[in-house]
Amino acid sequence: MTTAAPNREEEVLETAEAMTVSPESPRRRRSPLGRVRWWVYALLSLAVVLCAFPLYWMLVVATAGNAAAHQIPPQLIPGDQGARIAELVFTTVPFIQSLGNSIIVATSVGVGTAVLCSLAGYAFAKIEFRGRNVLFIIVVLTMTVPMQLAIIPQYMVISAIDWVDTLQALIVPGLANAFGIFWMRQHISSTISDELIQAAKLDGAGTWQIFWRIVFPVVRPAAFVLGLLNFVSTWNDFLWPFIVLKSPELFTVQLAIRQLQNSRAIDLGLAMAGSFLATLPLLIVFFFVGRRLVGGIMDGAFKG
Amino acid sequence: MKFRKSVAGVAAAALALVVTGCAGGSGGDASGPVEIEYWSFTGIDATAKAEEFEAANPEFKVKITEVGSSAETAQAVTAAIASGKVPDLVLIQDDDLPKLIANPGNFIDLNTLGAEDIAGDYYDWTWESATAEDGAQLGVPTDTGGLAYAYRTDLFAAAGLPTDPAEVAALWPTWEDFLAVGEQYTEATGKPFIDSAANSVFRATSNQVTEQYYDEDGEVVYDSNPQIRDAYDLALDAASSGISAKLGAFSEGWSAGIANGAFAVMVAPSWMLGVIKSNAPDGAGQWNITTIPGVGGNWGGSHLLIPKGAEHPEAAWEFIKANQSPEAQLQLFLDHGNFPAATAAVDSPELADQVDPYFSDSQTGRVLGQSVAALKPFPIGPETGAIGGEFTNALNRVDIEGTTDAEDSWDDAVSSIKNSIGD
Amino acid sequence: MSITIERPARPDRAFRPASTRRARMRARWEGTSPYVYIAPFFVIFAIFGLLPLLYNFVISLFDWNPIGEQTFIGFDNFTRLFADPRFWNATVNTLGIFVLSTVPQLLLALGLAHLLNHARLKAANFFRMSMLVPYITSVAATTIVFAQLFDRDYGMLNWLLSFIGIDPIAWVDDRFGSWVVVSTMVAWRWFGYNTLLYLAALQAIPRDMYEAAEVDGAGAWHQFRFLTIPSLRPVIIFTVITSTIGGLQIFTEPLLLNPAAPLTCGSSRQCQTLVLFLYEQGFGQYAFGYGAAIGVVLFLIIVVIAGFNFLISTRVRGGRS
Repeated sequence: MTTAAPNREEEVLETAEAMTVSPESPRRRRSPLGRVRWWVYALLSLAVVLCAFPLYWMLVVATAGNAAAHQIPPQLIPGDQGARIAELVFTTVPFIQSLGNSIIVATSVGVGTAVLCSLAGYAFAKIEFRGRNVLFIIVVLTMTVPMQLAIIPQYMVISAIDWVDTLQALIVPGLANAFGIFWMRQHISSTISDELIQAAKLDGAGTWQIFWRIVFPVVRPAAFVLGLLNFVSTWNDFLWPFIVLKSPELFTVQLAIRQLQNSRAIDLGLAMAGSFLATLPLLIVFFFVGRRLVGGIMDGAFKG
Repeated sequence: MKFRKSVAGVAAAALALVVTGCAGGSGGDASGPVEIEYWSFTGIDATAKAEEFEAANPEFKVKITEVGSSAETAQAVTAAIASGKVPDLVLIQDDDLPKLIANPGNFIDLNTLGAEDIAGDYYDWTWESATAEDGAQLGVPTDTGGLAYAYRTDLFAAAGLPTDPAEVAALWPTWEDFLAVGEQYTEATGKPFIDSAANSVFRATSNQVTEQYYDEDGEVVYDSNPQIRDAYDLALDAASSGISAKLGAFSEGWSAGIANGAFAVMVAPSWMLGVIKSNAPDGAGQWNITTIPGVGGNWGGSHLLIPKGAEHPEAAWEFIKANQSPEAQLQLFLDHGNFPAATAAVDSPELADQVDPYFSDSQTGRVLGQSVAALKPFPIGPETGAIGGEFTNALNRVDIEGTTDAEDSWDDAVSSIKNSIGD
Repeated sequence: MSITIERPARPDRAFRPASTRRARMRARWEGTSPYVYIAPFFVIFAIFGLLPLLYNFVISLFDWNPIGEQTFIGFDNFTRLFADPRFWNATVNTLGIFVLSTVPQLLLALGLAHLLNHARLKAANFFRMSMLVPYITSVAATTIVFAQLFDRDYGMLNWLLSFIGIDPIAWVDDRFGSWVVVSTMVAWRWFGYNTLLYLAALQAIPRDMYEAAEVDGAGAWHQFRFLTIPSLRPVIIFTVITSTIGGLQIFTEPLLLNPAAPLTCGSSRQCQTLVLFLYEQGFGQYAFGYGAAIGVVLFLIIVVIAGFNFLISTRVRGGRS
């Protein structure tokens, strides 16, 4: 058995690198081979159970009412109140309408951030312009401002342009997503080489063409992921829609289910049912695009 | 060129976004019903009442938003006032009221709309809690809480205590008697008597004083007021005597405790009755209510206010008059349990005769009416809520969390308050 | 080294400008186009991102009641803040919860990514997708669920612990316990996301490198330390920075955890984070100037710690220059 030498690291890396430069082969599956041992499956299954259990518990309380949460041993199987409580949810608040509002807002933010942040990320990553680095640092710095602090000034701006109680007030501020820029810039700078851009420029392509024909197709998975992540966070956002919206017909789904809670008397079963039903569309979307989401996170992630 | 088309596309999309923004905004129609914008909190069936008003007064339309909890409603109103775009009518709960009316300029003086005419319909103390220093009347009381104790008749019986409300009330004419009963109960059954000292003792005792945290001149006196000191020490005794279940109000364990009989007695203003019912839906007949030691007291209540800058203040005022008349408040009580602030409603025979089957057919209206009638008012100020909150927290630190000893608790409370509101 | 993309086929003549005047217009457009492309973002950002930041710097110098008086008091808010035990309490809470929710979570994500990184793993996609489920649940609903699971008398966790003879723990009432509850929620929400990021980076490491290392006699630990970690450096940096920024701003979970004392997260402020403290001052006490001062200090803390984490992460030897 060889002992570790101080320059072991370099040796290992050099040898490895010498063997791997291969422009033709795209990403290969690189992973340890061999049979997968049983405890791997066991651990992974445990992780899955832990992930799903709180959601399952939500379902149990939703179908069994308050009582499920207030007994020992805790109730572990769903109760039978499901249909009744679900009906209460739909009749007490304009649930379907709020779903529609949430879909509009969340989709707009998702698509909008995917496009705008890709554009801005591209500009930060590949275009040389004055003040680029300073501007980028400022963008990153704004991520440090918690939303709770931004609420009052944001609300005053919204009020000044008469956007109070409108859906666009929920959409437009969400488009200036500092995290999105950070994400896309990192992706673009790590996946698109400068030589490629140079070559395209030499061939006469303009900035827009480079972005649209060359850059965007490559980072589309990452942009898709960003859009999806923003879709989810917009869907789940409560505080800002709460401050902005006052017309019940414009309420998003999070506001609608909050209405299920009596001012002082909280019917847990009803609240949980509302939460579960509000999460259900996300789960459905997730079921269809989940694979792409996972693939996108992984395709677009950082390598090298 | 292609890229020009793309840029044009992006520009068009941006333009569309801006245009749709401008297209929104409230349409002011020349004729047709006047629309009153009303922000209320959830849980009081405000929408139904608004619709009733509309049906009776077709020249008005009420656009009602049930914003959320009372605290959330107050936050939304704050944001609205800060930005300058306010609704016509807001419902504010009394815990949030002092801070909002600390600057009276934020709300319309209802005397200019005719508030003096109806001032006599309501209890002085609740009317005056919405009166500014210069005499401007900023709000109309909608309901009050009163104070009572809700107790488990089955648990009392098992401990050898009487269960009839009058007999139970006779057990504790003073607070010391109440603590004694509690210790007796705990010794007999080994189980806690109250949910927590802060909730079920201090809440009540601190409300029965003639001077609370502020004196007549608006000076802060919480630390020098012997009545408050006594109330606090009494609560400390309750915390240290083992009769507390150590369950914070509205926590998970507390909600479960109501259903499972983790404690036998809890403080019950009018709105708490609904909380009990929803937390213990199967408990009908197990509970009853009676008066607290000293009888008088109040926890809760709300006011309707009209923010300055509202578009339709007169219409809002019409709504207030109709919605908060003594008859309307009485009806609300019979339907929903919100205890009226109008004296005629409280004194009415319907209220006195009303029985609640859940609470063993007891006359909840009469019990609460006694507490409201016996109340001795005290001045409140902008930091009343904050001071009360810090006292409660300090008690919970001794009672529930055990991070402070009882001997140090008063100093702990006072220093927390000084920290919070300044010296 | 960056991944190379297949070069496009040699473009046709359509790209070539037809005249010099057009060429000049082109050149001018090229000069300004970066600004055009980022303009929409920046207009929105300036109004809704930058403005609040500056606004808060300004009102931190005031005694600012949004519906009352607003007086300039200079740095008084800050001197009061540094003497305020509640501030130090919130800072300790924030840092404690941050460490507790980030370090185990990222290590766990790394471990899980390694497990998932098997070519022959069946149902790989199912495992990956399920780990994202926590992310899509709303924070508010999750907090209620966890508050129930961690309840002292009726919570499932204490019930399970009772089987191994442990007395009921008052998780939410105790300081460290409440940290555990909040950290568990945060870690539960984010670990799947971070696992996938690590997994992707792991899968990008060429197999040949490992084989070469085996050939040279490097054991599993050596491979991990000198091959895996350096290759993961960019993604580790990313996750550490984003976790730092997010972890120091935890708000909703503490807010909803303790209904008895929501704005202070418990009567002893045992889990009140800096953002919750800020919110309590702003919306609870109507002292927005003081709240803004907390925001400014938080801003500095995040910058310092994120910068520190960044420096540490870059100390990890990079795989390629």
